[in-house]
Amino acid sequence: MKRDAKNVTNAVALTVFWIAGLTTVVVLGAVIGYVFVNGIGRISLEFIFTNPHGVNAEGGIWPTIVATLYVTGLAMLIVTPVAVLAAVYLAEYAVQGRLVRTIRFAADTLASVPSIVMGLFGLALFVESMGFGFSVISGALALSFLMLPIVMRTTEEAIRAVPKYIRWGSYGLGASKWQTVSRVVLPAAAPRIITGIILAAGRAVGETAVVIFTMGTMINLPVLPTDPGRSMTVHLYQLAMEGINMPAAFGTALLLMAMVLAFNLSARWLLRRNRRMQG
Amino acid sequence: MHRGVAAVIGAALLLLLAGCNGNGQHAADQVIVTGSTTVQPIAEVAKEGFERTHAGVHVLVSGVGSSAGIENVVAGTSDIGTSSRDLKGDELEYGLVDTPIAYDAIAVIVNPSNPVDGLTKEQVKAIFEGRITNWKEVGGPDLEIGVVNRDEASGTREAFSKIVLDKERFDPTAVILPGTGQVRSVVAQAPSAIGYISLGFVTPEVKALAIDGVEPSEEAVVEGRYPVSRVLHFFTKGEPKGLVKEFIDHVLSPEVQEKVVRDAGFIPVTVKGIER
Amino acid sequence: MSETASEQPRQQLKLMSRSTYLKEAALKNLFLLCATMAVAGVVLIFLFVGWRGWPVFAEVGLGRFLGGREWLPTEGLFGILPLLVGSLVVTLGALALGAPLAIGAAVFLSEIAPPRVRAVVRPAVELLAGVPSVVYGFFGLLVIRPVVADLTGGLGFGPLTAWLILAIMIVPTIATLTEDALGSVPDGIREASYAMGATTWQTIWRVLLPAAKIGIIDAVILGMGRAIGETMAVLMVVGNAPVFFRGLGKPISTLTSQIVMDMPYASGTHRTALFGLAIILFLISMGLVALVRGLSRLREESR
Repeated sequence: MKRDAKNVTNAVALTVFWIAGLTTVVVLGAVIGYVFVNGIGRISLEFIFTNPHGVNAEGGIWPTIVATLYVTGLAMLIVTPVAVLAAVYLAEYAVQGRLVRTIRFAADTLASVPSIVMGLFGLALFVESMGFGFSVISGALALSFLMLPIVMRTTEEAIRAVPKYIRWGSYGLGASKWQTVSRVVLPAAAPRIITGIILAAGRAVGETAVVIFTMGTMINLPVLPTDPGRSMTVHLYQLAMEGINMPAAFGTALLLMAMVLAFNLSARWLLRRNRRMQG
Repeated sequence: MHRGVAAVIGAALLLLLAGCNGNGQHAADQVIVTGSTTVQPIAEVAKEGFERTHAGVHVLVSGVGSSAGIENVVAGTSDIGTSSRDLKGDELEYGLVDTPIAYDAIAVIVNPSNPVDGLTKEQVKAIFEGRITNWKEVGGPDLEIGVVNRDEASGTREAFSKIVLDKERFDPTAVILPGTGQVRSVVAQAPSAIGYISLGFVTPEVKALAIDGVEPSEEAVVEGRYPVSRVLHFFTKGEPKGLVKEFIDHVLSPEVQEKVVRDAGFIPVTVKGIER
Repeated sequence: MSETASEQPRQQLKLMSRSTYLKEAALKNLFLLCATMAVAGVVLIFLFVGWRGWPVFAEVGLGRFLGGREWLPTEGLFGILPLLVGSLVVTLGALALGAPLAIGAAVFLSEIAPPRVRAVVRPAVELLAGVPSVVYGFFGLLVIRPVVADLTGGLGFGPLTAWLILAIMIVPTIATLTEDALGSVPDGIREASYAMGATTWQTIWRVLLPAAKIGIIDAVILGMGRAIGETMAVLMVVGNAPVFFRGLGKPISTLTSQIVMDMPYASGTHRTALFGLAIILFLISMGLVALVRGLSRLREESR
């Protein structure tokens, strides 16, 4: 009797856990499926490669795609050297102490700063104080602060995962520390570092609150970094809230999801390929 | 790796420098138009035709709300500030030049299933102030009214507030949506909802109420009978000249007025008859 | 943690030429400089948001800002209490729904799921984290809001819709960290429990969850940070009426959504007040991070 009760409780509990686990898949499937079913009809080469026109933003969304990739790429260029070298310091050079604790606390804080706060910060510093105006460069600088802790953490983990004996071999050959780090450790950690950068870029592509206050909302094909632009996320937000041209909103949402998924899946693929090669 | 890192840093610096150089005043072949989201569709379509006939010229249009548009033109960051309301307060002191470009009327909309067909301006005012909260108080079913308001940046709200509410305070508990189409689709779905949008955006999904017994229609607006209407403006700092003037003339041309303005659901400024 | 600095034998320094030594030292300082960019970022945010927002405490007054019950910028009333309460309502509700779901999913992944199922569920959880918040908002606005409207009889804008959307959004944060915490519980403990005849459920409930307790609390706190700072998705479904909570389907507003709603037209004291809201948000998120760090230090000390 007691044993039965125990087993029934167990079975019920396990069912609940199965439901919790599968709910995540169902929700993801629902979001992707909803956007896909409603958006796929709108997708065409014309939609991707032409400018919006007309009363209700008919036509394509090309400028917003360019603005999104431009600001993300620029942010990657800015953040990568800083974040990778910062991680090299933390993993290879730093001695545990107050300074390192402060850096880690700062990185954690930066990672949890609400994106709207980052947006207002970018507005106050880059757009207004530094005079960059609403521009790709303002957006990229603000996004780079958002990406910094993500790339720093993944790079540090990647460096730490490089086995110690590889370093000893290098030192044994008389290599200096920087030679060891740059020629041995970083190349060995590169796939995981790149994975981290791609994941952070995926985050930047999906970011709205930061770019709306730093890059602006103007539909414009940005050429110079000082040009304003409207990201796909901002375009989707405006189309959704304006609510006049919903097909275009769905099309934008689908392309945005596809882009974010592409970033995430390629990062996972890279990581898995690397594991297989090492394993 | 060495060289790679150096190259990346170099590239980043170059871009930063490029950023610094290009900063400041915008190029001479640009016309920057910011302001009312109501006027935005007109400006955007007019821009397309204008850019076709003026090779190499870029018209940058963004909808940021009438107040922001006026602020931008005063600050010099925009050439034209579009607005769906008149100037007010401080704005009158900057010597802005007003070019009316279209008439617009605001329709009060409800769900088509709602049996109420018309309200007095006073009743609409009471509903949006939160003094009337149930449809049965205005001859409808026993249903709590779901008031949908626009955001403060909206020129439509500004006009509605001035014309209907006499600047009294809106019901602060009302839902606030930042877009015309969203207001329309929410009202189209919810039987209890009431909202307001430009007449040009009314579709059969929603029902536009008669106000003080006058159905909202173009004739009623032009004849000055429909009480909730307004003028759409282009504001410039001083008399428009050069490209800015050419763009404004383009907007006032029959081609834009009769096609674009009408397509966008507004009433051309060339139609005579409205006295404000 | 990082004892690598002393790894290099001291003798090697003598073997280096002076120029190599200088170069190495210069590089080390460059790396240090990069590492302090994180600190610089936090300081810059604090300075610049603070600089723009600070005057609000003088212009409006600390008490009337933090304790004011009305947010009516056009009438010069900048009381953020309704927004604070709104953020709190939205966050706590999302946690109440999302945390059990996330912890359940983490336990499922770590203890129950067969490898093949895990290979589907884990990427799903990670991809949920990658979905842009504006897409969640879009989904919430078009799919969940009408359902909530039918349920509550209102327009569907309000806390309930925000809870449902946010609950999903915080699942990846909490689930990933909880799974880490469960993974760090030594296998010996599990085996001991099973050897005593405990069922899977008993092992999870009596052994694993208590053992991973602090890690899970960390996870929930960070999920809370994510929820309180979430902007676009909340903005699109919450109704944006800066009033106190009146019901599940009645509109409210939050610190984050109010900033986006007001920023395009705000000027003067109003604009300052919005930066003031950002200061509050920044302090809250920083406080939560400090709390997590305090807890993990507690955990290390208790070992």
